[in-house]
Amino acid sequence: MTEVDWYEIRLRGQLDGSWSDWFGGFTLTSESDGTTTLTGPVIDQAALHGLLRRVGNLGVTLISVNILRS
Amino acid sequence: MAMPVLATKLFIPRLRSRAVPRPRLVERLREGLHSGRKLTLISAPAGFGKTTLLSEWIADARRRDPQLRVAWLSLDEGDNDPSRFLTYLVGALQRADPALGSESLTLSPASIEPALTGLINDVAQSPAEIILVLDDFQLIEEKTIRDALVFFLDHLPSNLHLAVASRSDPLLPVARLRAGGELTELRAADLRFTPDEAAAFLSQMAGLELSPEDVAALESRTEGWIAGLQLAALSMRDRSDVSGFIRGFTGSNRFVIDYLAEEVLQRQPEQVREFLLRTAILDRLSGSLCEAVTGQAGGSDVLESLERDNLFLVPLDDGRQWYRYHHLFADVLRARLLRDRPDLVPTLHRRASEWHERNDLPEEAVTHALAAADFARAARVIEGSVPAVRKSRQDATLLRWLTLLPEEVIDRRPVLGVYRAWSSLVSGDVEAIEPRLRVAERALAATTDDGAPGHDSADSEELRTLPVTIAVYRAAAAQARGKVVGMKEHAERALALTQPDDHLGRGAAAGFLGLASWTTGDLESGLRAFGEVRSSLRLAGNLADVLATTIVLADMLVPLGRLREAQRAYEQALQLAAEQGDPPPQSTADLHVGISELLRERGELPAAAEHLAASEALGEQASSSEKRHRRFVAMARIRQTEGDFDAALDLLGTAEGLYRRGFFPEVRPIAAIRARIWIEQGRLAEALAWVTGQGLSVNEDLTYLREFGHITLARLLIAQQRADPRGSIQAATGLLDRLLVAAEAGGRTGSANEILILQALAQEAQGRIPSALPPLHRALSLAEPEGYLRLFADEGAPMTALLDAAADAGILPDYVRRLGRALRQTDVDRASLPGIPEALSERESHVLRLLATELSGPQIASELYVSLNTLRTHTRHIFAKLGVNSRPAAVTRAAELGLIQRRV
Repeated sequence: MTEVDWYEIRLRGQLDGSWSDWFGGFTLTSESDGTTTLTGPVIDQAALHGLLRRVGNLGVTLISVNILRS
Repeated sequence: MAMPVLATKLFIPRLRSRAVPRPRLVERLREGLHSGRKLTLISAPAGFGKTTLLSEWIADARRRDPQLRVAWLSLDEGDNDPSRFLTYLVGALQRADPALGSESLTLSPASIEPALTGLINDVAQSPAEIILVLDDFQLIEEKTIRDALVFFLDHLPSNLHLAVASRSDPLLPVARLRAGGELTELRAADLRFTPDEAAAFLSQMAGLELSPEDVAALESRTEGWIAGLQLAALSMRDRSDVSGFIRGFTGSNRFVIDYLAEEVLQRQPEQVREFLLRTAILDRLSGSLCEAVTGQAGGSDVLESLERDNLFLVPLDDGRQWYRYHHLFADVLRARLLRDRPDLVPTLHRRASEWHERNDLPEEAVTHALAAADFARAARVIEGSVPAVRKSRQDATLLRWLTLLPEEVIDRRPVLGVYRAWSSLVSGDVEAIEPRLRVAERALAATTDDGAPGHDSADSEELRTLPVTIAVYRAAAAQARGKVVGMKEHAERALALTQPDDHLGRGAAAGFLGLASWTTGDLESGLRAFGEVRSSLRLAGNLADVLATTIVLADMLVPLGRLREAQRAYEQALQLAAEQGDPPPQSTADLHVGISELLRERGELPAAAEHLAASEALGEQASSSEKRHRRFVAMARIRQTEGDFDAALDLLGTAEGLYRRGFFPEVRPIAAIRARIWIEQGRLAEALAWVTGQGLSVNEDLTYLREFGHITLARLLIAQQRADPRGSIQAATGLLDRLLVAAEAGGRTGSANEILILQALAQEAQGRIPSALPPLHRALSLAEPEGYLRLFADEGAPMTALLDAAADAGILPDYVRRLGRALRQTDVDRASLPGIPEALSERESHVLRLLATELSGPQIASELYVSLNTLRTHTRHIFAKLGVNSRPAAVTRAAELGLIQRRV
């Protein structure tokens, strides 16, 4: 098995956990500064881009995308 | 039946009465159209009113110019199939002008460009001014389609304007167009509602009476995002405590759409909310479809009331049949559905799949079955739609479906298993074909204990002819591996398995059989096989392929030396094509090229040129992409006969650019024809380099595929002998002797004629006229009944000498006299060619090219490392040879003669 990378995606505005299924099972965390962090495993770049497209489709403002090395 | 074209995708959205007019933006779009820019790009995330703005602009433009035509295409993910995309593109343009995109528009999935070229030409000839709108362009990810659109943009006719709306910047050459002033661009910052527009929307359109402070607060919270403001307006409608709502909303950190959609949904009656959630899985909604999915009656009524309430429902036609949710709203609903009723999702998709299957919409039926993870259902629908998909050439769609099905489901369906094998053939994975065919074959043979089929494929025409299909694919695989023997064996097996009425199967099998024979030079067998192909295709009613097969037959008749039969075949095929009327069937243009080549050989150059002109006039739609280069080769041969070698070489260059490797063996490579012209020009070193590069030698084993190259080699050796008589002609004569044996063994009289002529010329090159006469006599006897002329007459002075000797010897006096006349006429014609009396030396050519630049005399001298005096000497010689007396005149004359590229 290849190592799966975890990503942390920060969005402006708050989205509650009910969107988790929509974002492919990512964990949604509301931050105190009014942003939301999505955290979860991404199997490859195509999956990451698919996820970012979902973010874009909702019109949410994307603040950052970070890779979390395990 | 081909795959259905959905009219809703071509519907031009009407401007909603409740939309805020946006004159500042429409003005910018109008200005872009007016100033003749190529592309309008509206690039912004969902919910910024892109489609609405386009509708408003279109309505405005049509009001100003009632003659203006509009083609609209709403893209979806399925349009990543190039065939499907092109079908809809043509469909959209035909709404603008029904004459566009003639029926003969066929394409191979690999190359969309030739079809686009035909479409571009059609549009250019249309009297209409057309705006073509591509909405939701972000969904197109397929590279071939993007490349094709770049090509389209680069060749955009001036009467067509392209408008693209996309959520993300498209991979089109936006920066280049922007820099060139060819782009009108609107982005999110332009599209946001200004405070004034927000106020106008909330008060006039939504009918809310809000204080300026409230309007400002809403505008600021949504940042002018139109979808946000619309949802906010919906949330406030009929609400008593509007200020309370605004305080809650503006004070919240929650994402705008999340907050507002919740508000809007909460305010709907339970029944409506359920309806919205359950139908959210649908990309397009109709009353009947919604009833099937929700299990509730009154679907149309609910849809109409949703539209009335402005609940993000967009009509897709004028008849209130089809709607879609605004994409953003649909996303929110789907997220809610996943959260609240995940258990329901597969059921809803399955119901949607059933409805679409009942209504003959297989693509959607498959998509929903796959979404329901109901693979058995998906596989059944896919299998049932295989003939339609293949007929529409939506191969990419079929291939994508196959990748989405689990392997074991395909394993149990031999029909799909065979297509899975075919998909590896298409993708070039030759190794995977045979194992996959074996799996399908085993499934096909399996039976249950009580004798019923042990697989899942339904009884169908496809299933019954599957053994033939398997054998044909094995032949194709053998061909892909270059295994001629295997190709022949499998093709024979396929032919043996076919039923008499399986015309397509028989045609395919006979085709591979014929290819095997053709490749090995057994042209008689090849003719028989392709004769069978042609009659099978005729019985299957496939006229375009009947015509294409005629060209194959003629290609074999020519080396067999049966020119008259080839000419008759072409004439009959052209007659058949003419009976079809307009538009001319595909291959018609190629037939003209074929007959032109025969006429050229017979010495009827004006008639040959007329057929080439006719071919050109018919346009590319009447020509298949693998044959398109042949018109330029034929024209090059005419120029060569006329002695205009440079023009001939230019045409060969064009031909090479158009050349596409097809199914058929390339027995007359363009590069070999070029080498022959070099030999005639005396450019022996270049010809030798080509021969060496091809690995052609006098001693190797001879094959039919290399016959043309070997004859070219023999020509080179004879030319070398003439250039340097101290050499030996042995190599040439030995090669020619062996070539003659091989050609005669294969019954290729046409090849033999040329070889015999070269045998005679080889003797003549050594001054041995008497030894030259026996082979010449044989060639003349074989050639006369078929009317050969240029084969002799293109050989110039040595042939004149030989024919004089033949005349003295009393050999075939009438024919020899006729050939002699043609040769003398050629000399006269070539002398009158606007050529230069004396060729420029290499050094002079170099100087000439520099004279065409901006460089001064001293600069040119220094470039060439010569003194100014030496340069003047060169220049004087050039002027004398070109018959001019000034530098500008020399450049002009040189450009006319094609000695230098005319500077743009």
